[in-house]
Amino acid sequence: MTGRAVRGGTLLAALALAAFLPAGISHFHSFQFAFVGIYFIAIVGLNVVTGYSGQISLGHGAFMAIGAYTTAILSHDHGVSVYWTIPIAGIVAGLIGFAFGFPALRLSGVYLALATFGLAIAIVLIAKNYAFTGGGGGKSLTLPSSPISGLSTNVWLYYLVWGTALLMLLLAWLLLRGSLGRSFRMVRDAPIAAVSYGVSLARYKTIAFGIAAAYAGVAGALLAISIAYVNPDTFPISLSILLLTGAVLGGLGSLTGMVFGALFIEFVPLYAEKINNQAPTVIYGFILLAVLFAMPYGAAGLLHQLGGRVRQLRPKATKDPRSE
Amino acid sequence: MRRKLFLVAALVVAAVAAMGAFAKSASDPGVTSRTVTLGGTFPLTGPASSYAPIPSGMAAYFSYANATRGPDHKRGAGGHQIIWKFYDDAYNPANTVQRTHQLVEQDHVFALVGGLGTEPQQAVRDYLNQQKVPQVFVSTGATTWGFDHAQYPYTFGWQPDYQAEGALYGRYIAKNDPNAKIGILYQHDDYGKDYVAGLYAGLGAKKDQVTISRSFEVTDASVLSQILDLKASGIDTFMIFATPSKTIATYATAAKVGWKPKNIYLNSVSGTQTFMAIAVKLAGAAEVDGTISAYYLKDPANPSWANDAGMQKYNAIMAKYLPTADPKNGLYLYGMAKAFDTVEALRNTGANLTRANFVHTLNNLNIKDNPFALPGVVTKTGKTKTGKIDAFPISQVHLIRFDGATQQWNPFGTTIDPRGK
Repeated sequence: MTGRAVRGGTLLAALALAAFLPAGISHFHSFQFAFVGIYFIAIVGLNVVTGYSGQISLGHGAFMAIGAYTTAILSHDHGVSVYWTIPIAGIVAGLIGFAFGFPALRLSGVYLALATFGLAIAIVLIAKNYAFTGGGGGKSLTLPSSPISGLSTNVWLYYLVWGTALLMLLLAWLLLRGSLGRSFRMVRDAPIAAVSYGVSLARYKTIAFGIAAAYAGVAGALLAISIAYVNPDTFPISLSILLLTGAVLGGLGSLTGMVFGALFIEFVPLYAEKINNQAPTVIYGFILLAVLFAMPYGAAGLLHQLGGRVRQLRPKATKDPRSE
Repeated sequence: MRRKLFLVAALVVAAVAAMGAFAKSASDPGVTSRTVTLGGTFPLTGPASSYAPIPSGMAAYFSYANATRGPDHKRGAGGHQIIWKFYDDAYNPANTVQRTHQLVEQDHVFALVGGLGTEPQQAVRDYLNQQKVPQVFVSTGATTWGFDHAQYPYTFGWQPDYQAEGALYGRYIAKNDPNAKIGILYQHDDYGKDYVAGLYAGLGAKKDQVTISRSFEVTDASVLSQILDLKASGIDTFMIFATPSKTIATYATAAKVGWKPKNIYLNSVSGTQTFMAIAVKLAGAAEVDGTISAYYLKDPANPSWANDAGMQKYNAIMAKYLPTADPKNGLYLYGMAKAFDTVEALRNTGANLTRANFVHTLNNLNIKDNPFALPGVVTKTGKTKTGKIDAFPISQVHLIRFDGATQQWNPFGTTIDPRGK
């Protein structure tokens, strides 16, 4: 059995698990896993900009907000079906992200991180102060309801989110496996070499920002549909930091590791509160530290290490997946 | 024969079992013969976490009620031990929605009680009404809770709403100071506008006494230009409708430009002891002295309540169930007062504790003996003369005046009901 077959098998098993998960868990847990899917989409996007092209973004939550408000405004004020708003939210957020990429070109490292952080702060103030967003009072959407009779709303949301997530994952894989992904990695690892090969740093950095923002926009749209309400408090600055935490824990540069990051974002704060509801943030911090110590390269790094051990036992070595 | 008897017996057993099953399905989630489960969401972390004492105060009172026999000689709420589950939503509606789903769908609570924040609670209002789960005594004073009750019959506010409070000041001024020259400084959002609308309604025919009205954005760095305009207009009665930090800034700025209007009125939300103490520190006692506001609960920081039976009960419950907390923080008392009304409403619903019956009780409340509320303050709902349900549970307030020297609020006059109950 080759490594490729093993990974193909694992992927199939994961897909089967995702497809049949709602049958084995309560309706409420399906609802929670829908949120895992939303975070998953957002951090797959963040992974493009941070993991592949090597730029730190502390403002990813802002693009989720743009997507969520696009959905809320289109469906609340213009009566557009919420499902159509999902791709539109992705395009709107993607264009804004692409535009943001231009000034971001002049910055790098911590300076870029600060600029994106500023974006996360600004978006909250914009949403609070302009009438078209509904101000601090926000906007209500119609409660989600399952169009398929016999399927509960929570399970429907689960399939809607994970169906979208699968499409977005496939799209990311197609985009990153080819020359675009190679160029991103080159921009990240060897910018000087990239330039000398004729790879435009500016072009690829802005493209990466645009793609990342589009993913966040789709995630934001799904968030708005699931909670049926948006206001500025829905997108605190901590959301952007949470998403970056998820991407790092999942393993930067790996697409499938992001599932772990998304699970962490959704569930660990809840367990921290269960352990100690007086100081949940302290518990959360300790868990985060422990996880980082246990797997410094994220979930994907850990899997890679384990895979390496298994391969050592076998005579034929497979190639390093990171070089693929 | 024997076989027949067996058949009959089997039928009887089946019938009884069926009746049992039927009886079981008639009772709502969250209620057993011995317990009732209540839930709520509060900001325990994040920017609004200063409100975190509220659910703890509620927990303390529920524990006390569970251990004490009520007027019906039963412990808890009419014999049901209260199980109280509250979760952190960090004031983020995305969390409020998830935690509320968890309380309803996983913890199977009977009702949501005391959920905090106008926007977070608005985010779950549609869902709770769709699921027919009571959303009771939300911890926000927005006017919509009482005003839109017909549209959301499972949702109930609790405290006096902002418009009613504004109207109260208006009526008081129209009656006691009809020639006042009034100036308003308000926060330019729904919250500030609610107060201003109330003030005009309360002033009635005297609304022309308002000579100047200035607003600010929450994000404004300073209120200096507004204060200078107000000072130049020569008003003698100054209305402040702001959130705490801007209220403090208003006092400090007025002191800096040497302006002390004869009368200052301040909305109750910004008037807690803690904020007033900061205002005194920044603006001086003379600037803040004599400010008039309104409140409906007793203030545990005011020593004049030391011999009051209700305050002694509060301090005893705090000492027993929250020994490490600071009893002078009025938010614990706020939580306890709310828990008291909750227990009363559950008890008054009687033996057949269903959500529908609970809502019926909530639509016909008349609780006069809340030991934590100021004398004369009742929790009352019911049909008005027009046949509509008045769903503003607490509407009476006392006017209170701030004494700069002792840094205490002192109630004066009698209870006033701006809604005319």
